[in-house]
Amino acid sequence: MIRRAGLFLGVLTLFAVIAPWLAPYDAGKAFRGFLHAPPMRPHFEGGIVFHPLVLADRLEQRFEPNRARVVGMPWIERFEDAPVFLLGADDFGRDVLSRLLYGARTSIGLSLVATLGAVLIGALAGAWAGYRGGWVDEAIMRLADFVIVLPAIYVVLVLRAVLPLVLSASTVFVLVAWIFIVVGWPFVAKGVRAIVAVERSREYVQAAQSLGARPLRILTVHLIPACTSHLLVQATLLLPAFILAEATLSFIGLGFPDPVPSWGTMLAGAGNYNAVARFPWTLAPAVAIFAIVLLTNLLASQPSRPARA
Amino acid sequence: MGRYLLTRLAFALLLVFVVSSAALVLTRIAPGGFVDQQCVTLSAKECEALRKKLGLDRPLAVQYLSWMSGAIRLDFGQSYLYSRPVGTLVRDRALNTAMLATLALLFATAIGIPLGIYSGTSHGIGRAIIRVVSVIGLSVPPLIGSLVLVFLAARTGWFPVGGMTSSTGIELTWAQWLADLARHLPLPALALAIPMAATLERLQSEAIESASHESFVAASRARGVDRMRSILHHAWPVSLRPVLGLYGVMIGSLFSGSFVVEIVTSWPGLGQLMFNALKARDLFLVAGCAATGAFFLAAGTLISDLLLAYTDPRVRSGERA
Amino acid sequence: MDWPTGQDVNRQPRALLSVLLIGVVVVVAWRYFSSARPDTDGGSEIRVSEASTRGGTLRSSLRSEPRSFNRIVDRQVPTDLYSLFTGSKLIRVNRATQEVEPELAERWTTSPDNLTYTLTLRDGVTWSDGTPFTSADVVFSFQAIYDPKVDSLLASSLMIDGKPMTVTAPDSKTVVVKLPHTFGPGVAIFDNVHLAAKHKYGAALKAGKFAEALGVQTPPADLVSIGPFKLTTYAPGQRLIFDRNPRYWKKDAAGVQLPYLDQLILEIVPDQNAELVRLQSGQLDTLQQQVRSEDIATLRPLEQQGKLKLIEVGVAADPDLFFFNLRSPYWAKDPRRDWITRKEFRQAISHAIDREAFANTVFLGAGVPVWGPVTPGNQKWFSPNVPRYGYSVERAKEILAGLGLTNRDADPWLEDAKGTEARFTVIAYRGNSSVERGSAIIRDELKRLGIAVDVVLLEQGALIQRMVKGDFEAINFIQNATSLDPAMSPDFWLSSGSAHIWNIGQPKPATEWEKQIDDLMITVMSSIDDAERKRAFDEIQKIFADNLPVLYFVAPRIYMGVSARVGGLTPSILRPQLLWNVERMTVKQGQ
Repeated sequence: MIRRAGLFLGVLTLFAVIAPWLAPYDAGKAFRGFLHAPPMRPHFEGGIVFHPLVLADRLEQRFEPNRARVVGMPWIERFEDAPVFLLGADDFGRDVLSRLLYGARTSIGLSLVATLGAVLIGALAGAWAGYRGGWVDEAIMRLADFVIVLPAIYVVLVLRAVLPLVLSASTVFVLVAWIFIVVGWPFVAKGVRAIVAVERSREYVQAAQSLGARPLRILTVHLIPACTSHLLVQATLLLPAFILAEATLSFIGLGFPDPVPSWGTMLAGAGNYNAVARFPWTLAPAVAIFAIVLLTNLLASQPSRPARA
Repeated sequence: MGRYLLTRLAFALLLVFVVSSAALVLTRIAPGGFVDQQCVTLSAKECEALRKKLGLDRPLAVQYLSWMSGAIRLDFGQSYLYSRPVGTLVRDRALNTAMLATLALLFATAIGIPLGIYSGTSHGIGRAIIRVVSVIGLSVPPLIGSLVLVFLAARTGWFPVGGMTSSTGIELTWAQWLADLARHLPLPALALAIPMAATLERLQSEAIESASHESFVAASRARGVDRMRSILHHAWPVSLRPVLGLYGVMIGSLFSGSFVVEIVTSWPGLGQLMFNALKARDLFLVAGCAATGAFFLAAGTLISDLLLAYTDPRVRSGERA
Repeated sequence: MDWPTGQDVNRQPRALLSVLLIGVVVVVAWRYFSSARPDTDGGSEIRVSEASTRGGTLRSSLRSEPRSFNRIVDRQVPTDLYSLFTGSKLIRVNRATQEVEPELAERWTTSPDNLTYTLTLRDGVTWSDGTPFTSADVVFSFQAIYDPKVDSLLASSLMIDGKPMTVTAPDSKTVVVKLPHTFGPGVAIFDNVHLAAKHKYGAALKAGKFAEALGVQTPPADLVSIGPFKLTTYAPGQRLIFDRNPRYWKKDAAGVQLPYLDQLILEIVPDQNAELVRLQSGQLDTLQQQVRSEDIATLRPLEQQGKLKLIEVGVAADPDLFFFNLRSPYWAKDPRRDWITRKEFRQAISHAIDREAFANTVFLGAGVPVWGPVTPGNQKWFSPNVPRYGYSVERAKEILAGLGLTNRDADPWLEDAKGTEARFTVIAYRGNSSVERGSAIIRDELKRLGIAVDVVLLEQGALIQRMVKGDFEAINFIQNATSLDPAMSPDFWLSSGSAHIWNIGQPKPATEWEKQIDDLMITVMSSIDDAERKRAFDEIQKIFADNLPVLYFVAPRIYMGVSARVGGLTPSILRPQLLWNVERMTVKQGQ
C-alpha cells in the first residue's frame, strides 16, 4: 500500500513537471480559424498521419477534413494553417490536449504543494498534541474537530470569497494553497496525534528523553517518522480532494484567472450546456479528474474511509 | 441518554453561533463591500445615504451585536441584494436544498444498501461487478457527476437541463407541480447520490460480510432459519452500526456536494444563494445562510447520532462505536 | 451484549424509512401550503374577441431582480421594463423608425422661437384604478423629477443647458412646457419623461418620501398603471406577471383596444445559459436581450423545424469600447507617461487589431468592423467619412517607433528610450462573453506588436467604481445605447459629462480637441436645423476618429430569438429590442 501510494504520488508529480515536453502546443496558442475544432482521427498511411481540418461553417463552428492533404504528428512537424488537435480545440481555438497537460501542471502542482503543507503542519500539530497531552492536546484536537465538522468546500468558498475577488495567478496560487492547508491539516493531525499518543510511551522515546533530547528533536526524528505510513495514506487522500477543490473554485470563477490553464478554468466553459452537448471534448478535464480520483480509490484499500466530496 | 442529547445539542448551538459569526465578520472585513459595488449608478450623496441606510457606517462590533440581538429573536435582518428579509429568502432556498438532499439520501440508501447487502453475502460474478461499479461510483465526485449528467441530459433530452421548475407562470395544480418537480429533481439528486451510494455500498458490504461470519449468525442457520432471513434479521442489523455512523459524515458531505451541484444545474438552493451573497458581500444574507447551513449540518449529525445511539448502547454511554 | 430480538430488528430499518418518507411529505406539503396560490383561470384561456390575434400569454426573461418600481429613481433594466409595460409617455420616439409619435399628448404646437411647446392631452384617459389622467399628473411628474430630495437620474437628461424646463397646466387638458434654450431633438425630449400618478404619490413627494414609494414590497394592488399592462404578481426570485390593463387608452387602427396580449410573464433567470435552454424548450417565447453569437447555431435547427424565428435586427448601435485613462494626474509619476497617453499610441493599436479576425473570433463572423462610436446601425447619424486605421502591423510598428518604442533587448516586448517596457493592464466585465473574448483577442494581437497586455476581469460594481474614480489604465467596456440621437445622451460627448468615460466630469476641457467637440455639441444640441446638426456631428466624428479617446473594433449583428407563435414584432436595435412595443405583439392561440 505504501509503495503503491508513493508510486502514485510520484507519477502524478512527474506529469505535473513534464507538460512542456509532452504537450504538442503552447497552452495559450490560439488558432483563430479553428474554434471548437473536433478531435482529429489518426490514419495509418506509412506512419500516423492526419487530414487537416477546413472550416465549413463559421457560425456553426463546423469543420470538414481535407482529404487531399496529410500532416504528421504535431510533435514532429507543425503547420500554422493545419494544426493537429488530438483532443479537439476549445472556444478560443486552443489545443485541448496541450491545455490538459499544462493544466495538470497547475492543478496537480497546487494540490501537491497544499498536500505537502497540510501534511507537514498537520503532522507537527498532531504530534505536538499527542506528545504534550493536557490542554495543548485538548485545544488542538477541539480545533481540528471543529474544522472537520464543517463542509470543506464551504469553508474554502468563504475563505476565498472574502479575499479580493480578482487576484493575479501567483497570488491565487499562494492564497488557495494556504486555504487548502487550513482545511486539510486536521485530518492529518488527528491520526498523527493518535499514533504519537501511543508511541510516546515506547522505550525508544523514553530513551531519547533520558538522553536529554529536546522535544522538537524527539518529534521530528522519532515520532513523526513513526507515522510515515499514515502520512502517506493521508497524502494520497488529500491530493485528489484538493485537485477537485481547485477545479470547483476555478469553475465558479474564484480560482485562476483566464490565460492560466488549469482543469477548473477549462471546465468553466462547461456551464454552457449547449456548447458542451455540441463539443463534448471540452469535458476532457472532467475525465482527467475522474481518472485521478479513481486511481486514488483503487489505491486506498480501506473502504471504511468515505470518499471526501 | 439525556446527558448525551444535551451535550450534542449544546455542540449544535455552538456550531451555529460560531459559524454564522465567523461568516458575518469575514464578509464585513472583506474588501469590495456591497455599497462600493452599488455606488455604480449612484452619486456620492446617494452612496453615503445608502451606506447609512444599510447601517454599514457603523463599526463592526456594533453591527455584530445588533445582528446577534436580532438573530436570537430569529430576525436575521434584511438582504441588501434582494431587498427583502433574510429569513424568507433563506427559508425558501433551504427547503429546496433540503428536498435535494433528502432525495439524494434516499437514492443513495435505496441503491447502496441493498447492493451492499448482496455483494457482501454472495460470492459470484455479481459481487465482482458491483465492486467495480462501486469503485467507479466513488470516483465520480458531485462536480464531475453533475457535469456529465447535464451533458447527457442536454444530448438526450430525457431530463430537463437544470432549474427546479419549468415554470410557465401558470399556477399549477398540486399534482402538476409535483410532476414537474419530479422531472427536475432526479438529475441533481443523482449527481449527489452516486458517490454516496458507492460509499454506502462498500461499507455495507464489508460490514455485513464480517457480521455474517459471527457465531450468532451461524447459530441461527443451525436453528434452521433460511439464509435470506438469517442475513436480513441477524447479520444486517449488526452491520448497520458502522453504516449509520457514516450518515453523520455524509450529511456534511451532502452540503458540500450540494453547493457544486446547485451551481452546475441551476438548482435554486442554499448553496447558490450563499455564493451570490458572498460575491455581493451581502452581510446579513451570508450570515443567515451560514447559520442555516450550520443548523442543518448540526441537525443532520444530531439525527444521525441519535440513530446510532438508539441502535448502539455503547454510544449512549459515551463511548463511540 | 444485547442482541436485538427479531421483532426489534424489523422495526428499526422500517422506522428509519417511514421517518424519511414522512419528512419528504412534510416538506412537500409545506411548499404547497406556503406559496400563495391565487385562483386564476390559467393563462391558456382564450378570450373571444373581435380580432383573432387577441389574447394569449407571452413569456420573456429577466436577468436580475427589480430593486424598485420607480422609474424616476431607478434606471436598471427590470425597472425600465416595468415602466415600459405599465407606463405611457406624452410623446414617444418610435425605436424602430426613430419617428416622434403622439401618445398621451394627442397634438402639440410649437412657439415660433421654438422655446415653448403646448401639448394637448388626450380625452378620456384614466389610470388603471379609474382616476382620470390630467395635466396635474404631468406637472407632478416633472416636480418629482426635478425635486432635489428625490435626486432623480432623469433630471440631467431633462435639463437643457443645465437649466430645468418650466411646466405649467392652464387647464386639465393642456400642458405648457417652456425650454430654457432651443433643443435640437425637439419634442423628442418628452421620450425621457416618465409619468407618476399624483393622486397616489403626491403625499409621498410632499413628505419627502417619493424615492421610497413604488418599492418592490408594494403590493401589486396598490400600483397604478397607465400603460398596456398592470403588474398583478411579483414572486421574488421567480417571475413578474403582468395582466392586460382594461383601461388602456390606446386602440389600433381598426379600433381594437390594445394590448393584444392577455398576459405577459417575465421569468427571472439570472444565468444566460439557463435562459437559452428555456427558449429552446419553449418555456420562454423570447429573451430579454439578443442571442449570443455562439448560440445562433444552437437555435438554427429549431428554426428549421419551424419552432423558432431568428430575426436579424440590424447592426448594434453600441459596440464595445476600449479606452485608456486620459487623466494626466493619474500618469504623473508613471514612467510610461511619455507615450501611453499619446494619440499616436492609440492609433498604432487601432492599426494593429485585425478587425475581421476579431469579428470572426468574438462574434463568429456575425459582426461588422467599426472605427468609431457611431455604427452603420445608426443610419441617420453614421458618417462613413471618418479616417479609418486599416489593419497593418508594419504601420503600427512604425508609429510606435516614432514614439520611441522599439525592441531593445532579448524579450519580445518593446521598450522606450528609458527602458520601460510597453505593458499595461486592461480591466473588463466578468461574465460577458463578448467583452471577455474581445479582451483576450486584444491581448493576443498586441502581443504580436510587442506590447504586453494584462487582462483583469472584474465584477460590474468594482469595475464601474474604478472607472468613476479614474483608477485604471485601460478598460474594455460595454454601454447600452438609449437613443440614437447624440443630443439625447450628451454626457458622453461633453467634457463635463458624467459619461465622458476617458476623463469624466472635467471642469473645463483638458485638451484642444475636447474643447472643439464641446463647441460643436452646442450646435448639435441646440440647433433646430437637422442638416446643420448633422454637419456638426460629422465634424465631431472626424475629430473623435483623429484623436481616438475610445477605440472601437466590431459591432455585432443583433439576432433575436423568438418563438414561432409570436407575431406583431417591431424590432429595434435599441434595447429592449422587441419588448419596447409589447402592446402590438401577438401570440398564436392554443398556448
